[in-house]
Amino acid sequence: MTRSAPASPAPVLSRRRQRTQRILATRAVAESIVSLAGLLRQPVRNQAGAEIGDLVDVVARWADGQTYPPVTGLLVRVGRRMAFVDAGAIDTIEHRQVTLRTAKLDLRDFSRRPGEVTLARDVLDHQLVDVDGVQVIRAADLYLAEVLGRIRLVGVDVSIQSLLRRLGPARRRSRPTPERVIDWAAIAPFGDIGSGPPEVRLRSAHGGLHRLRPGELADLLEDLQRPAREALLDALDPEEAADAIEEMDADEVRNLLRDVDPVRAASLVARMEPDEAVDALRDLSHDEREDLLEQMPVERSRELATLLGYREDRAGGIMTTALVVVGREDTVGSVLARLAELTDHRHDIDAVAVVDEEGRLVKDLPILDVAVAGAGVRVGRLGDDGDPVTISPDADLSEVAERFVEARRLSMVVVDEDRRPLGRILADDVVDALLPAKGRLHLPRWMQ
Amino acid sequence: MTEPVVESPPGEAPARSKRRRKHVLGFLAIAGPGIIAAGAGNDAGGVTTYASAGAEFRYRTLFFMVIVTVAYVVVQEMVARLAAHTGKGLAALIREEFSLRWTTFAMTAFAVANVGLVVTEFAGIGAAFQLFSVSPYVSVPIAAVAIWALVAFGSYRYAERVFLVLMLVFLTYPVAMLLGHPRWGQVSSSLVVPHFLGTKAFVLLGVALIGTTITPYIQLYEAGAVVDRGIGPEEYRYARIDAIVGALAAAFVSICIIIATGSVIGGTGPLSSARQAALALRPLAGHAAEALFGLGLLGASALAAAIVPLSTSYALAEAVGVERSVSKRFREAPLFIGLFTAQLLIGALVVLVPGNLIKLIINTQVLEGLITPITLAFILVLANRSALLGKAVNGLVARVLGAVSVVGVGAFSLLLVGLTVAGWFGFH
Repeated sequence: MTRSAPASPAPVLSRRRQRTQRILATRAVAESIVSLAGLLRQPVRNQAGAEIGDLVDVVARWADGQTYPPVTGLLVRVGRRMAFVDAGAIDTIEHRQVTLRTAKLDLRDFSRRPGEVTLARDVLDHQLVDVDGVQVIRAADLYLAEVLGRIRLVGVDVSIQSLLRRLGPARRRSRPTPERVIDWAAIAPFGDIGSGPPEVRLRSAHGGLHRLRPGELADLLEDLQRPAREALLDALDPEEAADAIEEMDADEVRNLLRDVDPVRAASLVARMEPDEAVDALRDLSHDEREDLLEQMPVERSRELATLLGYREDRAGGIMTTALVVVGREDTVGSVLARLAELTDHRHDIDAVAVVDEEGRLVKDLPILDVAVAGAGVRVGRLGDDGDPVTISPDADLSEVAERFVEARRLSMVVVDEDRRPLGRILADDVVDALLPAKGRLHLPRWMQ
Repeated sequence: MTEPVVESPPGEAPARSKRRRKHVLGFLAIAGPGIIAAGAGNDAGGVTTYASAGAEFRYRTLFFMVIVTVAYVVVQEMVARLAAHTGKGLAALIREEFSLRWTTFAMTAFAVANVGLVVTEFAGIGAAFQLFSVSPYVSVPIAAVAIWALVAFGSYRYAERVFLVLMLVFLTYPVAMLLGHPRWGQVSSSLVVPHFLGTKAFVLLGVALIGTTITPYIQLYEAGAVVDRGIGPEEYRYARIDAIVGALAAAFVSICIIIATGSVIGGTGPLSSARQAALALRPLAGHAAEALFGLGLLGASALAAAIVPLSTSYALAEAVGVERSVSKRFREAPLFIGLFTAQLLIGALVVLVPGNLIKLIINTQVLEGLITPITLAFILVLANRSALLGKAVNGLVARVLGAVSVVGVGAFSLLLVGLTVAGWFGFH
């Protein structure tokens, strides 16, 4: 059931509960948070209270794996010059002013050190990924607070109220409206560090990303803009990425494969389930397709090329070649051992095809039948003796659908004229193939 | 398991040639955004304004159109470059690169311009049905409800194709122009030598021509289409050709409409009915001219009446930062469907205020023209930012052309405002 199940609220809630050590949840922090948007352009004062300049930006570092990135300094406009003030010189950050410890200011030009980002320019108003809520957000405001002895970035505000507050007079701008604040612990900030050095993106990859289901990752990949999407792909391992791409909308898959480097695109397609890979390849132009196939391991590209040879609206065009074929004389134990190696294909295997000595299909055995039998039993003896439900690769979709209705099975084997198994059609592939005809409306992105 | 991502060595010849081949064919796959955008430019507002230019000033506006075309090409190229190099739509870029107040200002400008365009499209629908003797008070409300339902219940994709086919009618203008025996001597001198008039009517129509050619909406569309097709910096060369060819093709059709109308009814004063505009197709279609024109106008208007409010809603959602909710299912996005419904409602209601539909269309194009310099300025600033575009930033030529376009368009708008204000105080 998991293949395309939408993100239901339940797992999100439970994930939120998993994190008990939420900084923003503690009352002391919630009461002392400072709005970054409100703080910008406010005065920076020295110890004596004299104004020395306006705050232009806040620099934070998030490359070193800390959950709440510490502020490492401020960018202050002094007269017509831009100066960098180290975090060590900050005494207090209040809603509408910053006070420094020193009376004397050591004016240094700012040059970005590895892992540093400027919060107002690079993060505020840019896309971020909320890993807990599985959504792409745009930061309407960022909140700072003193935690563990340092001033840190603790949360992101995504509410429209915050946008309105920022449009209002300066007096109101600085008042936090933490109605819809997301704790920074839930944020994967690789989003869009525009001009930032690449290592910032990679190292800041959020561990929580790996807990997401493929469908959830697919949503994120669809919603992110190109630079952020590439950063997300960098953060995932290729298997995870391939699983996620299988769940994406066809148009989005095509864009993604065009966007990324051909070598990476080929490696992603090669890791997808064969039927999904073929669907993705069909959406590309002939030359793009050949390009990708050339970059793949030979065996893989040959397999995909065979599948591409079938027409898309025929059984051969929607079948997967992830098929487990076993001999009549094989024991249940050996079959189970083979299945154990194929857990990556868990969504595509619900039965094993049993063949005779000449490779002709004699049985299509549900996995459950195999699982409950004794390890020493030969698979040829399991199941009923009726002819297995099969279909020819040239059958059209309505025939396939009819056969499924008659057979009441979750999958069936596609066989050639000699009854040798070629692949397997899953009921959900038929559902996918029939659905667009019912007018499923996805708003294409070009309607921006 | 990690896959080493190997960049193909840049110097090696075989890899190079393969890449190039991919791109040449890639062009065919991506050809479109600019050309489609250009086609959409000749919507109800465009056809009506160009026809009115021909009717009122015969060939006098042609040189002005040539200048507007240059500005249009420059702008479309910048927009395509921004979208290809950043992978972001215009609304997202503005939100990220400008302060929130400037973003609000820009989005308000886009929203007002686009609502104006929705009004235009409903007026176009009303005018088209008038040709078939159906009152706008009947046709417009029905059209509004029908378009809303088509989009909300998901059969819009099919209807869209019908509208697109109907729009092809306007491609007959070049033929109609030839059959109308224009005075080629006058036409060619009007194309290369300015024949401006210092009257308010001329300035008003000039602003309308700017507004309908360099419509703010087309810029949103072009950027979105480039991003959506996954066109990146590598394919940009082809997107650029597409944008420029598309803009030139659109301008060619526009100029044909002006000449065709000018030859048949030039000098008879401002256009006042669709029936009059249809006369330009007489040399080609004879008595079927009205029906032909009516169908084209209907197709163009109905197509844009759905797409313009949809894309406005998308751009606003993108700027607010809730784009996620709209890229999913339509019916699950309350903010989005609310904005969409509101625009259709405003568009249809304004059209139902008694008055001349053709005049209403021209006036909304003037509104577009007054807003155009604002959105152009944002685009120019973005395209001049090297922090955003790196090496693809505007070069000296593009900077100068861009600045001249913005200033020129802005000056014309201000001239109109000035003349209007002067008119209130009795100066002419």
